[in-house]
Amino acid sequence: MNTNSNLYTVIYTTVIVVVVAAVLAFVSQSLKSKQDANEKAETISQMLTAGGFGTKAEFQAMGNAKVLETYGNEIESAFTVDAKGAKVADLDLAAKEVFSPKQLKAQNYKVKAGEGYALPVFIFKNGITVVPVYGAGLWGPVWGYIAFEADGKTIHGAYFDHESETAGLGAKIKDDPAFQAEFVGEKAFFGQSPVFSIVKGGAPKEDGKSVVDNQIDAITGATMTSNGLDAAINAWLGAYAGYFGTATVPCTECSDNEKTVEE
Amino acid sequence: MKLKETILDPIFKSNPITVLVLGICSSLAVTVTLKGALVMALSVMIVCGISSLILSIMRNTIPGRVRIIVQLVVVAMMVILVDQILKSFEATYPIDKQLSVYISLIITNCIVMGRIEAFALGNKPIPSMLDGLANGAGYGMILLIVAFFRELLGSGTLFGLQVMPAGYVTNNLVILPPFALILLGCIVWVQRSIQKDLQEK
Repeated sequence: MNTNSNLYTVIYTTVIVVVVAAVLAFVSQSLKSKQDANEKAETISQMLTAGGFGTKAEFQAMGNAKVLETYGNEIESAFTVDAKGAKVADLDLAAKEVFSPKQLKAQNYKVKAGEGYALPVFIFKNGITVVPVYGAGLWGPVWGYIAFEADGKTIHGAYFDHESETAGLGAKIKDDPAFQAEFVGEKAFFGQSPVFSIVKGGAPKEDGKSVVDNQIDAITGATMTSNGLDAAINAWLGAYAGYFGTATVPCTECSDNEKTVEE
Repeated sequence: MKLKETILDPIFKSNPITVLVLGICSSLAVTVTLKGALVMALSVMIVCGISSLILSIMRNTIPGRVRIIVQLVVVAMMVILVDQILKSFEATYPIDKQLSVYISLIITNCIVMGRIEAFALGNKPIPSMLDGLANGAGYGMILLIVAFFRELLGSGTLFGLQVMPAGYVTNNLVILPPFALILLGCIVWVQRSIQKDLQEK
């Protein structure tokens, strides 16, 4: 047979492409549920890490089933809120419904536009509220979860993830526990600009604690990632301002008796 | 060529990285940790071996004018399959996440296409598969050597376990790709001083 004729070449390539497409479609369909389960467990373990229920390594070691079980035991309620902070819809607690990074990305467009978003809020039984943030790093998306104390402004913990930041530099937002630990005890200034800042060159400090409550140190050698994360946090926490209450003006000297101005 | 040479040559004598200088890009990118390097090495071995096998079986039917495209389609299929499978298991999911695009980029790894073009299209299926696997192994071996030094000096760990004493200050240069290139250069140097026939006059 002449394998170099035009007809043969066209038929041959068509058959090959159709066969390969069929194989890939079949494999993708049959593995999808497993992949989704992995992604969901990963998302939940990140939220639990931010909420201080354990370390990321612990969750990784315990396996998907245990992670979901822990989440089921600790979660109180989960719902989405709009720009005014009003509840839009409940998330399915029994099915342990969460927002995947893809869903966060979809919401991110609306957050940037400043309207029409429905952002998830996860409230745990111990009073901790976890909310996601999402934005652009240097090479790809960065996202994460910030856990607030019952007062709705003091940060209890945070966990960040990224798609392709530089290993050893920008990747520290995920890999460096010291960076994530910096968030603990800081406050988000809802209704102000900036809500939170990651300061290049280091936030002013006194006795090892930052002077201004909403400032932490940026990562050395990762200015673009730090800036991207800073922008992501500000955009998203800004979008949550309606939920957490815009009018809370923090006061550094009177921590017990903070001035609250009603609109 | 004898079967023994088919298997052993790519490991040392005609190693795809140090002698043929293929696959340099990914060997700079995925060698920050041993775990990542190991998964990458196994993935390349599988992709290279099975693509060679499939294309060697098909070799007499492939139209000459579109053979590169046909190779590309088969290699792309294997790469996507490997990526999908890595994503599906609890144990490999975090590593796949860490390697991110580099698994998909195996398709652009010159070793895979190079071996298919140079060997699989002109040889019987079983030797072709062994040639693919051996080249993948040769690539993987260099990856692991580089990753060993980079993880040890850059993070003070091996396979994620702390081995350096607590006071060890991690070296940031080692984590960045340029150091991988320096290490690769050193490996090529060592190989060339052992294997004299590689030296130019």
